Amino acid sequence: MSKTENAVKQRLQSHSRRLFVQRAGLLGGMIALGGGSYLYNPKGTWAADPIKVGIATDLTGPISWGGIPNANVAKMVIDDMNASGGLLGRPLQMVLEDTATNEALAVTKVRKLVTQDKVDVVLGGITSSMRNAIKDTIVNRGKTLYIYPQLYEGKECTPYLFCTGPTPAQQCDTFIPWLIKNGGKRFYLPSADYVWPHVLNEYARKTIEKNGGEVVGEEYFPVDHNEYSATVNKIMSTKVNVIFNTTIPPGVAAFFKQLYEAGFSKNGGRLACVYYDENALNITPAHEIEGLGSCLDYFKAINDPGGNKIQQEYNKLYPGNNPFTAGSASTGMYRGLKLWEAAVKEAKSVKREDVAKALDHAKITDGPGGGCEMVPGTRHVKMNMYTAVAKSGKYEIVEKSKGPVMPGECG
Amino acid sequence: MHRIRLHGRPRQQSRDVQRSDGNAPATGKLEGPGERELAFVSTVPFIFDVLAYGAIFVLVVLGLGVIASMMGIFNFAHGEFVLLGAYTVYLLQQRGVPVWIGMLAAPLSVAIIGLLLERVVIRRFYAAPVAAMLGTYAVGLALREGVRGLLGGQFYSVTAPLVGSFTLGDVSVSKWRTAVIVITAIVMVASWLLLTHTKFGLQVRAALENPALARASGISTDRVYAATFAFGAALAGLAGGLMVPIYSLSADMGVPFLIKSFLAVMLGGAGGFEGAMAGAAFVGGSSAALPWFIKPVVADVVVFVIAIAIAIVKLRPQGLLSRWRT
Repeated sequence: MSKTENAVKQRLQSHSRRLFVQRAGLLGGMIALGGGSYLYNPKGTWAADPIKVGIATDLTGPISWGGIPNANVAKMVIDDMNASGGLLGRPLQMVLEDTATNEALAVTKVRKLVTQDKVDVVLGGITSSMRNAIKDTIVNRGKTLYIYPQLYEGKECTPYLFCTGPTPAQQCDTFIPWLIKNGGKRFYLPSADYVWPHVLNEYARKTIEKNGGEVVGEEYFPVDHNEYSATVNKIMSTKVNVIFNTTIPPGVAAFFKQLYEAGFSKNGGRLACVYYDENALNITPAHEIEGLGSCLDYFKAINDPGGNKIQQEYNKLYPGNNPFTAGSASTGMYRGLKLWEAAVKEAKSVKREDVAKALDHAKITDGPGGGCEMVPGTRHVKMNMYTAVAKSGKYEIVEKSKGPVMPGECG
Repeated sequence: MHRIRLHGRPRQQSRDVQRSDGNAPATGKLEGPGERELAFVSTVPFIFDVLAYGAIFVLVVLGLGVIASMMGIFNFAHGEFVLLGAYTVYLLQQRGVPVWIGMLAAPLSVAIIGLLLERVVIRRFYAAPVAAMLGTYAVGLALREGVRGLLGGQFYSVTAPLVGSFTLGDVSVSKWRTAVIVITAIVMVASWLLLTHTKFGLQVRAALENPALARASGISTDRVYAATFAFGAALAGLAGGLMVPIYSLSADMGVPFLIKSFLAVMLGGAGGFEGAMAGAAFVGGSSAALPWFIKPVVADVVVFVIAIAIAIVKLRPQGLLSRWRT
């Protein structure tokens, strides 16, 4: 054994008092920092006990692009509610937990929210795997209401779990006919190999075929794949009209670049990607995704009064890298909190059964992209959907749904 | 929604290209009506793809290989050095500096960061290679999360100094990828010459071979190690700078390369510089080539299986269980 190793070992095994004090201090510091979220309790001047809103989202790790703005939106909306008198005469307290893009860690974090903090509702989770990991702890064991804000693959019909993001039906029903009209009939579905693309593609394929289109190829890649030449070559040689893409960042950047270099769009092909929002425009240089189509519940370009108001307030509070967008679940988070607020007001209670009953038909008249409402009995939201096309690094709205689109889930 | 880790059902339903006219499902048409049908594996794009991806891989492995083979340290922060190189290019581009200047600055800035880290952290681990892996992993984690904080977890693009493609017969070939192939070849030869034909190279090899004797001969091994580590870091920075226009800048951009890079170094043998390069060419080339023939999801696994099998054969030529036979 070398000298250094011996020294390290000796140090780790020694039991001097100084070391004990050092370690006790370190441990104390760690506990104080780790549990910090509940050590200070901003009760303020309110007389009543606060209503606790648990936010569990990925502030760090690969999904932090979504978690950071989610937490921002939640803070903004909850502060607004407090400024206008709270709910049922009680203040709202936000309890934020970082799930760190780590499902195992997330379960312990939400367990803390429901058992220790005893929150009245939990909002959060970005990925489907995260939702699947934490829902049981919140809904079944924790007997707490759970609201999931992100666009996703559908089929989530757990009682007391409400979804406020778009579903495959909402993202495909108006978008795919538009793509067939404005791109062509031959579709290719390049996808990352996990649950969202698999289930979304099932629905997309049905919709494509129902509208007279044809799926020329459907292909799955490892989630961190970043070399797409073989696929680009296949796409170019089979004369694909529309690429309905569900490969994900960072690999998607290499894919779109290779398509651009092969001349896909130049030869009249249409790129489509339903998670592409304003954030995603930064992933590749603007000229590489010129003409890319996306379908979401909100774009800044809609220029609606509800959305503009939120944008203005949000940008004032949180200027920087994490804007308010649809693809990062920010719109779903906003909608979720507002619908929950409406439900609590109607139920005049924060008890789970009462709120769930009211939330089942809750409705808001204003929000990003317009008003929206729960479809009774489905725990999903019907909302306006917008089709936009990327032009020189910005979106242009090319189509609006005729009224709210049904989620088509759990019906 | 979209996520970085594999999740969900194992069901794999990659349907191969279906053709409306029925016959020959594995073939496609070239542009223009009435032309002959060709197999999907058209030669020019295939060869170019293997070369281009192989080159990127060699570039990434170069720095890792130098540090591993010359110092016996597996630098788990290598992916983050690549990231720092890319981040340098992005930062300078944000401030209006031309991309190619950023690409020259990237290896310099990463070399300085590498040097600092070597002086502060890495030098404590030379005697303990396993602790070195953990130490560098921790350094890498801190760097990655630091950059993630600065980027807000977002993805950003950097425009290449050469945009677009040129046509070679019927196929268009990316200009920047071609440039990367050329630059990689130059850097590879230059590094090899530096390590085998210069005084510095001799000192580095001497310090590796027999540190005590090297010190006795008046070589400051301390300084040589620091310089070697900085050199390896500079190569990583260069790789990051050259790569970032092909991919996009994100905190995790180095991660997909890391495990395969280690495989490449293991495959080529940690003792020599040329071995690591050959390993990189093999892993990179096969990663690019296999998806032309089999499903990409399977190809990824196959690369690992083949590479691990070769590594085992290399490490235990007598076979896994030979000890019990004799």
